[in-house]
This record gives sequence, structure tokens and C-alpha cells, in this order.
Amino acid sequence: MADVAVRDQGSARRAGESLLEREQQLDTLERCFDEVRAGDGRLVLVSGEAGIGKTTLVRRFCDGDAMDSPVLWGACDGLRTPRPLSPLIDIARVTGGELQVALDRGEKPAGCFDALRRELERRRRPVLVIEDLHWADEATLDVMTMLARRIERVPALAIATCRSDGGPGSEALGDALGELQTVAAVTRVDLAPLSPSAVGVLVDDAQLDLQAGELHALTSGNPFFVHEVLASGGRRLPATARDAILARATRLSADAQAVLEAIAVVPPRAEVWLLEALLGPRIALLDECLACGMIWADGAAVSFRHELTRVAIEERIAPHRRVGLHRAVLAALLEADGVQVDAARIAHHAEAADDRGATLEFARIAAQQAGASGSHREAAEQYRRALRQSAGLDPAERAEMLERFAAECHVTAAWPEEEASLREAVECHRRLGDRLGEGRTIRMLAGAIACKAPDPERVRATLFQAVEALESLPPSLELARAYLGIASSFLATEDAEPAFAWAERSRAAADGLADPEFESRALGITGSMEWLLGRPDGRTRVERALAIALEHGLEDRAGLEYMGLAELAVRLRDRAGVDRLIAEGLEYCEAHDLDMHAHYLYGFRAWLELDRAAWDAAAESARVVIADRRASPDARLIVLVVLALVRARRGDPDVWPLLEEAAVLAEAPLGDISCAMVACARAEVLWLEGREGEVAAATDAVLATVAAKPWVSGDLLWRRRLAGIDDRAGPHAGSGVHALVLADRWADASEQWQRLECPYEAALAAIASGDGPLLEGALVKLRELGARPAAAIAGQRLRELGARVPRGPRPRTRANPVGLTGRELEVLELLAEGLRNGEIATRLVVSGKTVDHHVSAILRKLDVQTRTQAAAEAVRLGLTA
Amino acid sequence: MPRYIVQRTFPAGLHVPNESGAELCREVVERNAAEGVTWVHSYVSGDGRKSFCVYDAPTPEAIRKTAALNQLPVDQITQVRVLDPYFYVGEGV
Repeated sequence: MADVAVRDQGSARRAGESLLEREQQLDTLERCFDEVRAGDGRLVLVSGEAGIGKTTLVRRFCDGDAMDSPVLWGACDGLRTPRPLSPLIDIARVTGGELQVALDRGEKPAGCFDALRRELERRRRPVLVIEDLHWADEATLDVMTMLARRIERVPALAIATCRSDGGPGSEALGDALGELQTVAAVTRVDLAPLSPSAVGVLVDDAQLDLQAGELHALTSGNPFFVHEVLASGGRRLPATARDAILARATRLSADAQAVLEAIAVVPPRAEVWLLEALLGPRIALLDECLACGMIWADGAAVSFRHELTRVAIEERIAPHRRVGLHRAVLAALLEADGVQVDAARIAHHAEAADDRGATLEFARIAAQQAGASGSHREAAEQYRRALRQSAGLDPAERAEMLERFAAECHVTAAWPEEEASLREAVECHRRLGDRLGEGRTIRMLAGAIACKAPDPERVRATLFQAVEALESLPPSLELARAYLGIASSFLATEDAEPAFAWAERSRAAADGLADPEFESRALGITGSMEWLLGRPDGRTRVERALAIALEHGLEDRAGLEYMGLAELAVRLRDRAGVDRLIAEGLEYCEAHDLDMHAHYLYGFRAWLELDRAAWDAAAESARVVIADRRASPDARLIVLVVLALVRARRGDPDVWPLLEEAAVLAEAPLGDISCAMVACARAEVLWLEGREGEVAAATDAVLATVAAKPWVSGDLLWRRRLAGIDDRAGPHAGSGVHALVLADRWADASEQWQRLECPYEAALAAIASGDGPLLEGALVKLRELGARPAAAIAGQRLRELGARVPRGPRPRTRANPVGLTGRELEVLELLAEGLRNGEIATRLVVSGKTVDHHVSAILRKLDVQTRTQAAAEAVRLGLTA
Repeated sequence: MPRYIVQRTFPAGLHVPNESGAELCREVVERNAAEGVTWVHSYVSGDGRKSFCVYDAPTPEAIRKTAALNQLPVDQITQVRVLDPYFYVGEGV
């Protein structure tokens, strides 16, 4: 039945009993499993405080008589820095196969998840149990999130247990859980403490002479503590719940206690061979320990029945003895012959044993392994551990470790630590006189600064330092990269001449040395700049940059190019293929864990949807980014502006707070381009509110800063024109639709906006024209789009012309006051046209009986007797035309 | 959570039949709850053509979303704060 990794003697004893006060939760599990049997996968999250009985519940469910499915069991381990994917490792031990292969190959979470999924599909309606999610490493959390998103289509029941009482690593877990709970196929089961009466039942069963009420108070109804007290069999209650745990231990012989301590020091399970190495002949006392019930065995290893017990025992060990134990464990692990021991585990013991050399060595290996398997938070933690012990390390090695640490910090968005480590690395290289290393790390430092707080001036200054170091050496790819970085900072401010100049310099310096990453970046920069200037081939170049990145598996690069392509396609309204591009980009980012890049893509999609007047979709895309507090200021700015405009265009409240926050974000040195975007939005909102007079003041300063960049100033000039400001005397040369606007060719501009898929802008151009028929068309269109304030302005202008303002359409299908269903409305319409039931049935392609049924319902709801009356009532209520 | 007044126009007048009224309202409340929207109460004009509905909701978008799900029209959304005659009356008066 079950390829379960652990068998429990204790539960065999209690198998006949029912779990107290857990019937409802077992029912929920049963119900979910019924759905799985029916073909839909389900994920159940079992949560509760430590000792509340999560594992017991799940075991009871899996060991039940009715369980006819295979059960796969894995657990997250409680090491301070967990091994990546430890639950999958547990499962692979039993399944072998593809999952084992994937793990051996060190595949990323996505690859391991696929292998797991195939193992699940290979079995009939399996149950997958993942324990202790609160200890999960990043890669495991990724797998869980992927599982949650796809579980409906995997006919399996996945159960995850998780502690609900906080603790370290809660933030990442909280995010993952938050995501999990938004999925419909995920059910949450919370376990509550036992009631006093349940405790009473347990006391009676144990036939002890204890006060149930007092016991309940002492333990707060926590099942684990209750059992511990009852198992210790004392006649009096211990002073604290903790004493209860230790009570059983103190009754063992001293040697047996030593065995317990040895086990306690090796979480989560202690292999028997390891214990033999540690304890020598005292290993014989293992039986005594097993008998006392505090630990259980599963063939090759033993572990404490509960983590709380292990912690209690471990904390009781005197510090010097603890260090000694860790040293012994470390020695045993290192000498282990023919056994694969995991570096993270060794590093854990090495640090606890105060062995600097071993800690350094194995933490480094563990970090590399974690980084390679996608657990970047754990990799960073291991590097931190290694660096703590790195005082005596020679500068070159230290510098290398700092650089790797910085790379992990970069991916986990720990910017301050990244910057600090890189600065230290720069110092190391300087002391070594390694100018190449110095130049390289300074360049990486510039990259870190660029991510933390995009300040092009500061980034450039840092890069010039790098250049200074590198120019003293013969030409190198590093130097070319530094030049390219400078070009990139000019692209960020969209200054064409310097961007091209530096790009050219970098091309020359890279002659013959370039690698795919460099080529992709160079193409991306020059292509983007050319595209902005409206030169041909610009876009093609950027597309080529993306292709190169994808071809060579350069994930970060590809993410950046997707972003860049999407941004320019949306901003420049060069919309061919943009939907597919963004969809592909989002898929790519999700598969490769590129959250930051995904935010931008959502932002540009929101902008696109805004232009198309798809208000709901735009608001939804914006919400994704706004809700994520890790989003960068740049990305947040975009969606704030989009959401503000969605609201303003619909006439909804809460517009200005969004624009104010956006303005603050833009001012921090994000630059003129962002300020221009905010100013544009402000101008439009002022116009919609009838405050045209304020538009000039709100946009004059900004316009001056972007005058030389027609691709930025275009929209700004358009908004000013709408407000009646005449900028034609200025030096602005518009192109495309903006040129039409500046020339007051409104009908043409409106048509062009239509072609660019911007119906709202088209309507505004019609308003600006002041022409009667155009205004009427705009009014109708704006009403259709749900753009009330603009529609009101159109109506007002029409009235000023003395023209008749058409009445609004009757929102017939939306308001259904009598409570008729959609179908009933359809039937009623046809009935009112005079059709007989048979004809209606033919028209709607349903049976005559169905129509009869609908007609009865209609008569009842309209409170009339005959069809004729119904038809009349329908007209009176305005339900038909 | 901000409070909003939602104005709606029912060209044919809002007539809720008595028997299905309770269930209709319950369904509306449930659909709202999924979006974190609370329908406090509504003021309906005598002819049933206009209603002013008081809502507590996280965003205007949530209101529009639940309105669409409940097949209710939305004319205008305004954010409001409650003011009553005793608002400024201090303690011990």
C-alpha cells in the first residue's frame, strides 16, 4: 500500500483509537481525496502550532483502512540552513527513477518539479505528503508553488504541513503561502488545541489520577504536551510542560541519556552508522531509548518523535559538551566511507563545533550547490557562514568568495549586502594589485547600485572608476563591458549621442573578445536607442538581442531584453506582435524565477490595456505589481500612473494619491522620462476635471527637460494641446500622430490613433477638433468605453455648438431588475416579437419543453397571466427595444 | 477600508420580487465577500430608477468587479466619509 519512509510503533498501538476532536479535519481530507478520485488534483495545507498533531493527523489519514493509494512522504529538515529540496530527496529515495536523476543532476526547481509530477502521474491517485513547510528552503517553496498552481491537473492528493506560530524565514514562507491560498484547488485545515473534555478523556484512558482541568491549563490543550505528561506516568503534574518532556529522559540510565543527546545533536534524523561511530559500544542502549518511546526508528536511522523533544534535549546539553558532540559528528561525517554526505550538513556541524577550517570549506561547497539548484537564499546564508570564518583567508580567495556572495545577494535582492561585499572585494583586489579584478568588481558594483537606486549619474561615476583601472591594462572584455555599462546608463536617460559613442567604443574594445552575453547586451542598447529615434532596424536589433540571450540560456539577459522590447513596443506604439511578446516574456520569467522582470512586463501590459480602453484588465495587471512590496520603484511608478488614469478616465475616485506617490518616485533620481510620464497623466486628469488652466504650470518645467526627445515630448505636447496650449512656436518636431496633432489635423490624427489601437485617444482628438459630427461620434464612443468624464466634456462641447446631444444607450442587458435570467430575457424578447413557443425553441436551439418552462417562469416573475400581457409588460419595463 | 457611494440607474426601475429577494441579496453579499467588498445598505428612489448604495471596499475596481458579477449598473463611484449631527460634539457636553 504505502511506500512510506517511516513506520511508527506508537501509532500501531493507538491505531484502534479515534483521534480526539479531529473528525472534521479527517472528513475534509476524505472529501478532498474523493475529489481526487473523481479526477481533480487537490492540495491540502495542514497548519497549527508545534505539537498540535499535524503529523499525527496526516499519518492517521494515510494509514486508514480505506487508503488504497500509494503514499509518497517527504519532509523539510530543521537545519539552520536547510538542504535544498530535502523533501524531494526523501521521496526520491523511494521512487528512484526520473526524480532521482533530476536531483542528482542538480536541476533547477522547475526541472525537479516536472520529474516529481511525472512520478505522481505514474501512480494511481497517489498521496504526496510534504512536512514542515516552515523549514522549507527556497527551491522547495518554488516547487510547492508550482505544485499548487498545477495541482488540479495532476490527479493526486498533496498534503503539506506547516507550523503556524511564526519563526525565522517566515517572510518567504508567508509570500509562498499567500500565493498558495489564492489557488482554488488548495484547502486549508487548521488544527486547534484540545478542549478540556478531550483532555479528560485522555486522562481517563491513561487511568491516571490527575486533574484534567489543571492538565489542560498547564499544556494549553496542546496534544503533544498532554501526551508527554501522561506518558511520564507521574502522580503529580510537572511544573512546566517542558519538564514533562524531560521527565521521561531523566528516568533513563546516564549512558542511555548520552545516546539521546547524540541523536538530538543531529537533526532531523541520525543514521545508525553515524551513531555507532559516535557512541561505540553504548549504541546497544539504543533499544532502551526506543523502548522509552521518545524516539523511533525507520531501519537506517532514528529520530525523535517530535521536534519539541529534540530541542528540549539539545538545549539541556551543557555548551562545552555540545561542542564536543558536534566535533565528534563532524569527524564521523568526514570519515564516512562510501556514504554521500551533504555539504550543508557538514557545514552546520562544523560551525557548531567551532571548526573554522571545516566550516569555511564546506559552507563554500554547500553555497555553490544551493546556488546551482536555485536556492539562492540558502546559498547566501552559507556564504555568510563561510565569510564569518574567513578572517585568515588569503585576499584572492576572499575576494572570490565575496564576489560569489554578492551574486547571490543580487538574485535575492539583498542590495546593501551586495554593495558592501563588492566594496570589500574591490579593496582586496587593490591590495593584491589586481587591476583586472578591481575593474571587474567595480563594474559589478555599478550594476548593484543601478538596481538598488537607479541613479544614472552615480552609476556612471562608478563605471568611470572601473574604466580607470582597466584602461591601464591591455584591451580586455572587462573594459569593453565597462564601456557598455556607460552606454547603458545613457540609454537609461535616453541621450542618443553619448549612448552611441560609448557603444562604439565598447565595440572596438571588444574586438575579437566578445561573448554572447556581450553581443546581446550591445545589440540591445544600440537597437533600443535607434528604435527610439525612429530609425529602421532598431526593433530588429533588439529582437536579435533577445534571440541571442534565449539561445545561450542567459536568463537575466533574456529577462532584461523581454522588458526592453515590451517597453519600447508599448511606449512607441509599435504594437505588432506585442501581446504575444508579453505573454511569452511572462511565461519565461515565471519559469526562470525572474520576478523583478515580470513586474515590468505586467506594468507594460497594463499600459497597453489602458491604451486599448480595457479598463478592468489594466487595473488587474496593475494590481499584481502594486500588491507586491518587492517591486522596484520604476515598475511601481508605471502601474501607479496606469491605475490613476484608469480611475480618472472612468470617473472613479482615488486618483490624486496615486499620482502623488508616483511623482515622489519619479523625483528620486529616476529622471526626466519618468517625470514626463507623471506630468502627462497629471495634465490629462486636470483636463478631465475641467482645470485646464493649471496644465501649463504642471507641465512647463518638465517639457523643457525633454524637449530634445520627441519620443517623450510627443504625448506631453498632445495633452497640452488638448488643454488649449499652443506650442507650435517651440522647437518640437513631432512625428507620426504627434505631427498631425501639432498641425491641428484632427480628423487625420483621430484616424491614426484608431489605427494604433488607441480608441480613447482617437475620441479625444475628435473632441479637440470641435467639429459637430466628430464630437457626436466621440461622445457615443466614449460612452461605450465607459469614459464618463471625457464623454461629459464631449457633450458639453456639443451643447456649446448648439447641437443636439444624443441620449445615452439603454444598458438593457446589464440591468435586470426583475430577476430574469439571461436565457429568460432572450425568450421574452422573442416572445414580444410575436414568436410562438415552437419558433422560439427552433431559434434558440432548445427543446419545446425548455421554452415552456422558461415562459412559465417569465409569467410568474412578471406577475402576469398571458403571453400578450408579458410582452406588454416587457415593453413597459424597457426590457425590450 | 474606504467607504464609497455608488450611484446606479435602472431605466426600467428596480423591482425585486418578494419571494426571491432574500436569496438574491444573499448571493450579492457572497459574491461581494470574495472581493472583500461589503454592501452596507442602499437608498432607492420611489420609482426604483435610481439607487445610492453605500459600500465599504478596498478599491473602486473591486466595486466594479462585484457590480459586473451581480449584473448591477454603475454610474458613479464617490469616496465618502460619514458625517452626522453629533460628529463635532465634544465630551461632557
